[in-house]
Amino acid sequence: MNLYEFEGKEIFSKFGIAIPKSILLRREDNVIKKYNQLGIKDVVLKAQVLSGKRGKNSGILFASNIEEVKLAVEKIFESNIRGQYVCGVLMEEKLNIAAEHYLSITYDTNKKQPVLIYSESGGMDIEEVDEDKIKKVWLDIRQENIDLDIPYANELWQCFLKTDARVMEINPLVKITDEKWIAADAKIAIDDDAFFRHQDWIFEPRTMLGRLPTDREIQVKKIDEGENYYRGTAGKYIEMDGDIAVLFSGGGASIANMDALFQVGLKPANYTEYSGNPPREKVTQLAKIVLSKPGLRGLWIAGGVANFTDIAATFSGIIDALDEVKPAYPIVIRRAGPNEIEGKRLMEECAKRNNLNLKIFGKEIAMGATATALVDMINKK
Amino acid sequence: MSILIDKNTKVLVQGITGKEGQKAVAAMREYGTQVVAGVRPGKGGEVVEGIPVFDSVQEAMSAHPDISTTTIYVPPFAAKAAILEAIENNISIINTIVERIPIQDTAYCLASAKEKNIRLIGPSSLGYISPGEGRVGVVGGPLVLANQVFQPGSVGVISRSGGMTNELSWQIRKAGLGQSTAVHVGGDLLMGTTYADLLKLFEKDIQTKAVVIFGEHGGGYEFEVVEMIKNKEFTKPLAVYIGGKFANMFPEGMNIGHAGAIVEKGQSAEEKEVVLKSVGVLIADTYEDLVIKIKPFA
Repeated sequence: MNLYEFEGKEIFSKFGIAIPKSILLRREDNVIKKYNQLGIKDVVLKAQVLSGKRGKNSGILFASNIEEVKLAVEKIFESNIRGQYVCGVLMEEKLNIAAEHYLSITYDTNKKQPVLIYSESGGMDIEEVDEDKIKKVWLDIRQENIDLDIPYANELWQCFLKTDARVMEINPLVKITDEKWIAADAKIAIDDDAFFRHQDWIFEPRTMLGRLPTDREIQVKKIDEGENYYRGTAGKYIEMDGDIAVLFSGGGASIANMDALFQVGLKPANYTEYSGNPPREKVTQLAKIVLSKPGLRGLWIAGGVANFTDIAATFSGIIDALDEVKPAYPIVIRRAGPNEIEGKRLMEECAKRNNLNLKIFGKEIAMGATATALVDMINKK
Repeated sequence: MSILIDKNTKVLVQGITGKEGQKAVAAMREYGTQVVAGVRPGKGGEVVEGIPVFDSVQEAMSAHPDISTTTIYVPPFAAKAAILEAIENNISIINTIVERIPIQDTAYCLASAKEKNIRLIGPSSLGYISPGEGRVGVVGGPLVLANQVFQPGSVGVISRSGGMTNELSWQIRKAGLGQSTAVHVGGDLLMGTTYADLLKLFEKDIQTKAVVIFGEHGGGYEFEVVEMIKNKEFTKPLAVYIGGKFANMFPEGMNIGHAGAIVEKGQSAEEKEVVLKSVGVLIADTYEDLVIKIKPFA
């Protein structure tokens, strides 16, 4: 999960990394009161969004009096920063910048270990900096401390390890006129899978898309919570603009099927996958939410030849939802694996008693080909 | 011949008393794999599916010093300790099915394994199967199904996805071919055994004439393959499918599908295809296409 700048900076400061004096403004806050509370004349106002590029999209503005501050805050809350939700405005002291550097730690997937990246050319995308101006230091994850002649290197390392981060970036790392270093920005991605050792991870709702989660997304997320969170997942749902509801089995098949759906010219209403052996109830909840979106024109349920997912059991979960919703639009299913014969029988009975326009395929035909079958059924209507 | 496993491989199951562990024991044994011991702290002396349970890996190893492979079936928060215990006891291959292990724990285990030249397969790996030889983990499913999908043959299979390992193997079988070994490498950001690691083994394996890979957008593991081919370390025909072209519509940093399938700059499905193609890799537009591309060489 990506953190907002203000959340990241709070974490940095706990680990001894200096941050500018600041105050967070929410939509409902009294701007005058907050400005007076901060008590600094020259300020910078920064849109709190989940991905960068806000500088180029009027997400960062400067102000030196209350009128300018009010205007800037209003402007930022109204702005559209690449479709992202602005959850707040961070009002900070304007820094006297002597130099802008870059510092980050992330995982290098090729070397399979963390890498610290440092450059004296900060303030811009690291991808735009010449290779010879970038210093990379690969770190052993088992090292408790690191000793490098780079400002805040060990502080950031402590922060990276103890926060269970995937990415930590300070850009720019600013040298202020009195020879001190300060983190002018904070980009942190935490590892959601480490939540069990971070009771303090209580963050406001968000999506990786940068927008607020929809009601359906919030509902689906709840399905996988609880102590058996790792036993079969049924909690992936991203709401999209199209009109074909999808229920895919498995991460790999879901990716291949999304590509296949676009290839035949259909547009998904959602991205959804369940995997492992989720219990019937979890699948029912998921399927109901998927089917609850208005304006659907079709439903595609597809997965590969399962290894150990009980097809009859997961189908039963879907059937419970179909019995309730009774969709009028075409439905195409492709799935195989353990207990597939029973699963198919149950599904055909469900189609019959609810008069569904449903076609079900097994492993005799590949997944992608059944997307074409769905197109044909939709066009026949 | 096969890679990673043969009829003589002796397997340990860590977390043998859990539901998934028991399922794995049954799956391996019905396929003819020798599961010789299990571990579950506090339950030493018990017997699961006819297999003796020990309190620790060390005890299991003293009773069965010929164990060469272990499989990890514990909850994610216990995975690091279990894997490190296997590493301490010098088991040369560690297959980890556990999903949602914190990346820091995986990195720690990988660093420790590397020092001892121990191979980790996974995390999030259902295992691997060499038709007619045996299987580690549950890949392939119940015996009846596994026998419908798998038969000894010349195609090596590598997949980021467990479901697609089976699905792809089925497409190979349907085309009248068989598999040498099919490996589910797992979908995490850090892969214990990468495509390149397996291609090195497939290169040496006489049975394998060609290899197919089901890959995903995100991560840079395909670029290692490109280097290998350039250096002539892998010379057999290779077909690759990279899923997730649609993911371009999402912002950077988002992961869709598996944990490792992150939308990143310079590592999209299309960009990977271009460089793979430049060294002669056959690129499939759909996963079904993989088999069509590879058939003339298999």
